[in-house]
Amino acid sequence: MTSSALVEVEKLRFSRGDREIFRGVDLSIPRGKITAIMGPSGTGKTTLLKLIGGQLVPDAGRVLIAGHDVHRLSRKALFRMRRRMGMLFQSGALFSDLNVYENVAFPLRVHTNLPESMVRDVVLMKLEAVGLRGARELMPSELSGGMTRRVALARAVALDPELILYDEPFVGQDPISMGVLVQLIKRLNEALGLTAVVVSHDIKETLSIADYVYVIADGEVMAHGTPASLDVEQDPRVYQFVHGEPDGPVPFHYPANDFHEDILGQGVRS
Amino acid sequence: MMAYITRLGRLGCDLLEAMGRAGLFLVQSMFGRPSAEGFRLWLVQMHMVGVMSLAIILVSGLFIGMVLALQGYTILVDFGAEQALGQMVSLSLLRELAPVVAALLFAGRAGSALTAEIGLMKATEQLTSMEMIGVDPLRRIVAPRLWAGFVSLPLLTIGFSVIGIWGGYLVGVQWLGVFDGSYWGNMQASVEFIDDIGNGLVKSLVFALVVTWIAVFQGYDLVPTSEGISRATTRTVVYSSLAVLGLDFVLTAVMFGGLS
Amino acid sequence: MKRSKMMEFGVGLFMLAGILGLVFLGLKVSGLDPTGRPNDTFELTANFANIGGLKPRARVTMAGVTVGRVESIRLSTEWYDAQVVMSLNSDLLGKLPEDSTAAILTAGLLGEQYVGLYVGGAPDTLGEGDTIRDTQSAVVLEELIQQFISSAVKD
Repeated sequence: MTSSALVEVEKLRFSRGDREIFRGVDLSIPRGKITAIMGPSGTGKTTLLKLIGGQLVPDAGRVLIAGHDVHRLSRKALFRMRRRMGMLFQSGALFSDLNVYENVAFPLRVHTNLPESMVRDVVLMKLEAVGLRGARELMPSELSGGMTRRVALARAVALDPELILYDEPFVGQDPISMGVLVQLIKRLNEALGLTAVVVSHDIKETLSIADYVYVIADGEVMAHGTPASLDVEQDPRVYQFVHGEPDGPVPFHYPANDFHEDILGQGVRS
Repeated sequence: MMAYITRLGRLGCDLLEAMGRAGLFLVQSMFGRPSAEGFRLWLVQMHMVGVMSLAIILVSGLFIGMVLALQGYTILVDFGAEQALGQMVSLSLLRELAPVVAALLFAGRAGSALTAEIGLMKATEQLTSMEMIGVDPLRRIVAPRLWAGFVSLPLLTIGFSVIGIWGGYLVGVQWLGVFDGSYWGNMQASVEFIDDIGNGLVKSLVFALVVTWIAVFQGYDLVPTSEGISRATTRTVVYSSLAVLGLDFVLTAVMFGGLS
Repeated sequence: MKRSKMMEFGVGLFMLAGILGLVFLGLKVSGLDPTGRPNDTFELTANFANIGGLKPRARVTMAGVTVGRVESIRLSTEWYDAQVVMSLNSDLLGKLPEDSTAAILTAGLLGEQYVGLYVGGAPDTLGEGDTIRDTQSAVVLEELIQQFISSAVKD
């Protein structure tokens, strides 16, 4: 792996109860690029982000961020490390007792000793970047889903992190706010030069902004490459996913007995 | 047979693990460097947990004092001992009813709200996102609530006793005609500051810790779904009520039962 | 900001009410007297052949007025009687005649037991740690009944 990688995941194994979620995942996330991690629902993409953020501890393998093993850090060092990361949650996860302005100001207030006037400048700058400077007095409950996510984005970049993790940023958005978010992620990455990890299963949007893509399924990296190379990938599983076909190697049906047997068997017995 | 023993063993292990987690959780959140910001957060929670519970506590205290006086009078008057009404009302309130009933009401009013609030924060990923911002939710969210509960309940218990004794006075003296002087006089002769008021307060401190601890831990540890929240809220009320009543017996045995 | 000031005020009021309530309980309910010094008492001892149901912290009265309380009760192995230590208001120090007597009385038929002191006439007075010699034991109901029955049988 090259030294330009900010995050390196090596042979990561993780299981929940008896279910194995990752069986040796290797990833390398280059500095200053947008890396997408894709895969069908339920493959543990969010879990992967939590492992990178140090909230979950893997069974084996390690995660290096800028050369530090995240899971070997002390609690204090881990919290210090997290100041250099931003994370955008699927639900936005705004603090419901604070208004928009205070939500964005929160990381600044707890991690810096900036005077109030500078906090104000930074917050308004970040809110302007996501186009919600006018909504600063609103409470999170008064925001639409797309606005919530934009405020969360402003909060995630409030401390100018080096690494930002996006957890399903496009899920459940109308086409317009989806477009807005795609634009924002792209622009933030270009303007601030930050490293981004996007976890998503929205193929079209993700492929349009990603520099590099990993496809995860069945606890392993199934394919990786640039969006262009994935588009012509021959592996049928990857093809099915990238082109969104309803049935293929990844079955439409949940594993079950034979349909006819199931229905007729019932009838015979009763 | 083997299976039953195994299941029992697993239950025991689970229980022990849960208690270990809860204990660690308590220690990690309650003890930390105090700060001006922490004080401000505590103040907000004092309002939510303490001041907001005041109304229900005071109204209940008044009624319980009045009922005690009414019931006590009908019994005592048969022995010609209605002068002892003040003593009866005040001792039952200070030693038993105020700490226990206030704790039960507190579990229902403030405890369930704490569980639901923290549970909702967990379900909407607010706790996780706080962690990712680099702020420990144990210190920021949990600690102020624990301390607010710990301070509030004894204060509420005092309020309960005071208004209950006043309620007893209203019914006993103003309505049933017990002599004013003997109501207060008998009370003063029989109530000991340390033994009765002090022990009642110690009880309510213990209950405060247990109820808030259960409430906050249930919220923090729940399954982050809407069903999980409603279950955890129910659990908070059930567990803390049982804990209060059980501990009350133990504490009473130690304090007043000559077990010392 | 205004809302937060209101809230701080509310919390302050709440805590103040709690503290005032505690003071009320102390003064009005338990009859604590903040002016009374805790040490202004002196101790007297009295031995009783039988104390009945007397308990520590029981009242000690004189002419019906409470003047002190029982501190401790223990069995004295000299005569196998009960040694009761009482603490009395220091106003009485040096004023009780030496031949004062102590009796264990019962409030009402079923009430609690307490110690009653009766003044004697001797010129010397009792001081700190002195012993009251002349005592009258508690009336035990069973013994009374037994006496009554045996005297009735004799008749």
